[in-house]
Amino acid sequence: MITFTYEGLPLEVEPGISVAAALIKHGERVTRFTRFNSKPRGIFCGIGVCFDCLIEVDGQPNQRSCITTVKEGMVVRVQHGS
Amino acid sequence: MSQSPDAIVIGAGIIGATTALSLTNAGLRVLVLDRGSVASGTTSAGEGNILVSDKEPGAELNLALRSRDAWFELSDDIGGGFELEAKGGVVVAASNSGGLQELTAKQRAAGIDARDVTSAELWDLEPYLSRDITVGAFYPQDAQCQPMLAAARILQAVKRRGGEIITGADVQEIQSQHGVVSSLVTNKGSFSAPVVINAAGTWAGSIARSAGSDLPIAPRRGFILVSVPTPHRIFHKVYSADYVANVASGDADLQSSAVVEGTQSGTILIGASRERVGFKEGIDYSVVRILARQAIELFPFLSDVQLMRVYRGFRPYAPDHLPVIGQDSLIKGLWHNAGHEGAGIGLAPASAQLLTDTILERSSFMSAASFAPSRFLTVSS
Amino acid sequence: MEARYQVIVLGGGPAGLNAAKYAANSGCEVGLIDAGTRLGGQYWRHTGQEDFDQSVHHDFDQGSLLMDAVRANKRITIHSDTNIWSASIINDEVVLRTKAGAFITQRLIIATGAYDRSLPFPGWDIPGVMAAGAAQSLLKGHGVLAGKRIVVAGTGPFLLPVATGLYTHGATVVGLLEASAKYSWARNSVELLRNPSKALEGLGYLMELRKGKVAVRFRQAVIAAHAGADGLLESVTIANIDSEWKIRSTYKLSCDVAAVGWGFTADTAIASSLGLALEVDATGSVTASVNENQLAKQSNSAIQIYAAGELTGIGGSDLALVEGAIAGLSVANSTRDLKVLKKRRKKLRRFAQTLTKVYPVLPGWNSWLTGDTTICRCEEISYSDIKAAQEEFDASDARTIKLMTRCGMGLCQGRICGRAIADIMDSPTHERINSAARPILSPITLGEVAQEGLL
Repeated sequence: MITFTYEGLPLEVEPGISVAAALIKHGERVTRFTRFNSKPRGIFCGIGVCFDCLIEVDGQPNQRSCITTVKEGMVVRVQHGS
Repeated sequence: MSQSPDAIVIGAGIIGATTALSLTNAGLRVLVLDRGSVASGTTSAGEGNILVSDKEPGAELNLALRSRDAWFELSDDIGGGFELEAKGGVVVAASNSGGLQELTAKQRAAGIDARDVTSAELWDLEPYLSRDITVGAFYPQDAQCQPMLAAARILQAVKRRGGEIITGADVQEIQSQHGVVSSLVTNKGSFSAPVVINAAGTWAGSIARSAGSDLPIAPRRGFILVSVPTPHRIFHKVYSADYVANVASGDADLQSSAVVEGTQSGTILIGASRERVGFKEGIDYSVVRILARQAIELFPFLSDVQLMRVYRGFRPYAPDHLPVIGQDSLIKGLWHNAGHEGAGIGLAPASAQLLTDTILERSSFMSAASFAPSRFLTVSS
Repeated sequence: MEARYQVIVLGGGPAGLNAAKYAANSGCEVGLIDAGTRLGGQYWRHTGQEDFDQSVHHDFDQGSLLMDAVRANKRITIHSDTNIWSASIINDEVVLRTKAGAFITQRLIIATGAYDRSLPFPGWDIPGVMAAGAAQSLLKGHGVLAGKRIVVAGTGPFLLPVATGLYTHGATVVGLLEASAKYSWARNSVELLRNPSKALEGLGYLMELRKGKVAVRFRQAVIAAHAGADGLLESVTIANIDSEWKIRSTYKLSCDVAAVGWGFTADTAIASSLGLALEVDATGSVTASVNENQLAKQSNSAIQIYAAGELTGIGGSDLALVEGAIAGLSVANSTRDLKVLKKRRKKLRRFAQTLTKVYPVLPGWNSWLTGDTTICRCEEISYSDIKAAQEEFDASDARTIKLMTRCGMGLCQGRICGRAIADIMDSPTHERINSAARPILSPITLGEVAQEGLL
């Protein structure tokens, strides 16, 4: 099992799964809030095409959580706007 | 139009739209024709620049100075709605060139509000600018708009005031009798008016030829890079001083210099490249690479910003870099308002006003002589 | 870095894998470029775990064998996790740019597959509403259930394995809602008889679902999604629809996930960048035109570009395998087995065509839209924004709508909303084809673009 943090909270998952899958496993669906209307968004197409599941990974915004594999010590934060 | 129009404008881009508005405000009934839809040509491929800072003293600068103010008058006239903003421009130069201060002095003498700034002031204007850039000038007059919205809103006003717009109308032939324009043949029927204005931008040469005349307007290709939306970190139009030289260059080879600005939607636009390669299809990624590199030299943070899309346009380019505003050399009643190269948006309202004044034989804010189509006639003895 | 291969195959799904295998076995040196971390594409998504649960996959055995064969083949070099950000033809060569450098060839096979086709509806942007493929990918690729109470809806045979997989792994599948009529196969029963394995496969899923008492309903669709106080999906409105997909009556179901699938659509951006001739098929999908050897039409005679799989028309994995094989043989100028393969292709294409007749997507879905339905998810543009632009700007074509509203100008560059806009605006063929172009194919930073040495 490996550990990463989501909004400061440590979460444990099996290695090899995506950030989106890891969050859903822990009951979290929201990866970001949209830039104009601050609406919550999460996984939609699941395969990296729709760019809706964007999340901030290790300080980098606009990462597609559905195709980003969780790594030990990864710092994941909900993205606000762009 | 139940009656024949007083004037027909060919082209529903920014030049055609402003021309139609100017004529409409002067009391004429105007019909606008475009083979595509509103702003489907070069107007939709630009950045919306309204600049005085990049013009050398001369006729074009005078046109630009008037036009800049005319944009704000136009916005008041039609009720805005196209993101017009007096953003201000910041021109930067490599620190070892004293040329920028010479340029700003000349510009002030010609009527531009050009302010030399110290490094500290420069970095105050643009905090994310590379600290390798230490020389700059600020131009509060430089402005910005959204060109497609502008063209659309202007044409809405034209319609409200009695004009008509027909899209999807391809002008196939402009007929004349005894050297006077008589009618237009299009795929949507024939139209006639005593005044026909060629505002077809990069395709103005083709329209002129369909009338049996000619206009030496050629395409000058440009690319614009669009970043993903990011938090606002660029506050003015920022560009390097060699932009001016490139605009004026007649070289067919690639001319490129950095032009960077943010937009209201959060994206960052990066230009500017100029090449004479005809209407070449596709994207040349080596140019994209150069533009990216030049932009990063100005704003290092851009290195980590993602590129979202690239678009391409063809600027309408006359051999002497001046627009063509005036009556056709061969055919009476056929007027041209085209060839504004990369300054079409900025120069549009003043060009329209100048042309309208010329058509109606009224005095105008400047002479149109420098822009006359007759300057292309080869001298024959 | 510049890597040259005799043949490059783009895509590690069924079509790409078979194309690589056949080309390599015919003597070619092949570079296989795949965006995924593991081979298999979408169809054979797997977690890579040794104790992988194969009950989720219908024919994973076949896929597994093929993946092993490709990995073991000395003539094939696999480049996984490799995304192409732009493609051009320079000096009679195909140049594919990636972050690590350029891949160059004169013989290319494009097998980049497809993704779920989405239809906008009120509330489709609420977290919890997702494509059917997303639920499938979470399960097959990551071993995670998308939610606890799941509604599976839309149209097409893909809904069956999605619902079955979710149910057999412990989710409550509240219902499988198919927009087509129950007896829509009746008129096309000959095709079912011709393809008994497919009929059996479908029946197998239905039986499994019946065992789980999962309600399978026809002529029903999710027409609206509703959020709870936390902003997450709480319930959906389901409509009984008529033969034109207009709403007759409605009812609500509570759920935390709505997995909605309306068939598939291929990403034609790379084909467009390389100047391939594109066409629009009977369903309105943009596809690459290919000849009987899977060779695509383009103007440079020094280069051969093939297209196999969903890019030539949605047809499922069996057809993709066959088209991949034909492309792999053709690129190597081999004719072996070609006749048999072409016969098989014909049969599978016919079946694929039948599927589009049995599971059409009808324009009546427009009638489910309300003014505040989000159409462009990326830029948050609503249906009423589009209608306003149509009126205000006399915009009668999709491109003008895009320019005036920013619809399709966001991060996904129209992959999700583009088709919906084209349908709403009733775009003609040439407009659909023009909008297939995307100069930047995948995310890349300006710094990466600015590097030296890139062609």
